[in-house]
Amino acid sequence: MTTHTPPIKVLVTILGLDQHEVGALAIAATLRDAGMEVVYGGRFNLPPAVVNMALQEDVDVIGISAHSWEYLHFLDDIFEGLKEAEIDVPLIIGGSVVTDGDKADILAKGVAAAFGPTDTPDGIVREIRRVVEDYRARIE
Amino acid sequence: MSDLNQSHSGIPLDPFYTAEEGDGNAPGVFPYTRGKRLPRPGQSWILRELSGEGTATRSNEQFKSLMAKGQQGLDIIGDTPTMHMLDPDHPHAIHAVGTQGVSLCCRTDFEDLYRDLPLDELSFSQSLPSVPGIAGLYLVAKERGMPSEILRGSAIQLALYEDDCSYSRHLPLKLRMRMATDSVAFAAEKMPKFHALMEDTYFFSETGLDSVEEMALGFVELRYYIRALLAKGIDIDAFAPRIGILLTCRMDLFEEIAKIRATRRIYARMMKDEFGAKDPRSMALTVTAHTSGLTMTAQQPVNNVARGGMQAVAMAMAGVQAMEISTFDEAYRTPSEDAHMVGLRTQQIVQLETNVTKVADPLGGSWYVEELTDKMDQRICAELARIEAKGDIGELSEQGFFRQIFNNAMERLSRDLEDGTVQRVGVNSHSIPNEEDHMLKEASEKKTEPFRGQITHIQNFRKNRDQDKCKQALGGLYDAVRDENRNMMEPYVAALEADATIGETAGVLRQAYGQKYDPLGNLPSPLGI
Repeated sequence: MTTHTPPIKVLVTILGLDQHEVGALAIAATLRDAGMEVVYGGRFNLPPAVVNMALQEDVDVIGISAHSWEYLHFLDDIFEGLKEAEIDVPLIIGGSVVTDGDKADILAKGVAAAFGPTDTPDGIVREIRRVVEDYRARIE
Repeated sequence: MSDLNQSHSGIPLDPFYTAEEGDGNAPGVFPYTRGKRLPRPGQSWILRELSGEGTATRSNEQFKSLMAKGQQGLDIIGDTPTMHMLDPDHPHAIHAVGTQGVSLCCRTDFEDLYRDLPLDELSFSQSLPSVPGIAGLYLVAKERGMPSEILRGSAIQLALYEDDCSYSRHLPLKLRMRMATDSVAFAAEKMPKFHALMEDTYFFSETGLDSVEEMALGFVELRYYIRALLAKGIDIDAFAPRIGILLTCRMDLFEEIAKIRATRRIYARMMKDEFGAKDPRSMALTVTAHTSGLTMTAQQPVNNVARGGMQAVAMAMAGVQAMEISTFDEAYRTPSEDAHMVGLRTQQIVQLETNVTKVADPLGGSWYVEELTDKMDQRICAELARIEAKGDIGELSEQGFFRQIFNNAMERLSRDLEDGTVQRVGVNSHSIPNEEDHMLKEASEKKTEPFRGQITHIQNFRKNRDQDKCKQALGGLYDAVRDENRNMMEPYVAALEADATIGETAGVLRQAYGQKYDPLGNLPSPLGI
């Protein structure tokens, strides 16, 4: 990595009425410790708000923290919103309710990476770096 | 359960054991360290499992099925929109309807929820927002022509910490406290057998607090309610006999037992010496337990069955009045039908096969447990005093003092799991590769689709009601809530009766306290203000 590479900027947010913030706060701290810039979007967001934050903050990756199954039903709207806004910033999902089966389903839908309860912080950081490197290479 | 008090080999058993002459150190005697009361032969805790899923009708069927399997009381949890006091058609709510609890938003939902259930026989514990939960049960009894005095059960009160951990309703603290105290005062008068002041230390402990922090913060909140009720001029003995604590049980079983013994003692002392209670029932605390979901793992979910079983034995020995246990699918969801069965059968095995119910406080007198009880007592009281010395509890809450405690606990737990300070089988020790982790995996991960039929149900319900009558009742609620000297419960019941929805009532409560009707969007207020 050269010194000119800007730090990875990641949006960490939660959808709908998913009320648990533990995972989001924990992963935000982990990513900051790993040298990333975290934009914390908090709870109670709908897809248009997520897309808008991603746009306004010009993030490299959108991270959704999920402790309820609501995210599964919001994904299409987020992808739709990103398409309308003409940005193809990668979307990643992580959370305690994300099973291996879910991972396969949402990766097939176009999610760039997915993390469940058995994934380690180191592994998550590594994977986010990979996703963002691919993204940056793609848009250059 | 056999009424014969003897061991499996026929050794006669006393109801309790003590080294002292007389009953000075008996269960059921001040300071109640050894139990709220002396158990009667054949008596046990109330067996129940956390339930509620989808529509009220579906949940009603679930309750009946659980009772047919031997459940003795109900513990009803609302889905996320219900817990937030938002209607199912709110844009934020539509994908969460009925997936993690029952969707309740209007009069007919409560009627469907309690349909055919014997209101005079069952105990209805509510993990619901207390005001609509109590009002809904009261209204159903009224419609059936039954006196509200017969109603039994409990309602959790979450006013102080709800915004800091996971139950944000976008209601200011003053309003949350008003809702708690009004509902407790109302129940004390109209539903004297109902535990309307259930201090729920379970939900905020799930942030990762230890047992001392759990009970210290529980007493901080409980004392905050009690002082607010006394300030309204309500006599301590009018409501204190129906105070309870719903606590958690982690995996350090002796500490958890000592915590409960110390909690009963601290409570008894506090009620007698500090709050001047005269009625012995005001000093004998009701304790119910929900075993810790946080100790349950997504990895090797079958291990959670063992954890739940051990926690159930510990809670039985601690002498709780009711329990529900988290089982194998806890890491992913509120319990499925299969998990209910495992939870209930686990409790029944403890109750009927292990003999631990035969003798009250069987660990009393153990050097270890007595010492641990004393230490818990001292540490809980010291932590309580430390927090209360920091200043006004409401101001501390608004400054984020408590939120910081919860956030620190979350970080501490994840660090401790990462570095192995806390051992968890299947997570940081004795783990196996994901592809080999099959047992009960599929059953744990089974999902529930949102019950979107509820969205059209509530839209039709609103369309077909008497609009003028509903608006007038909501106006009456608004006026009552704006007057600090009035109790909001009767007007709240009247609003439900006039077919206002829970989402609408919550919006009107917010407006009465100068807040926006719809905290998450731009829904218009039915009052036109």
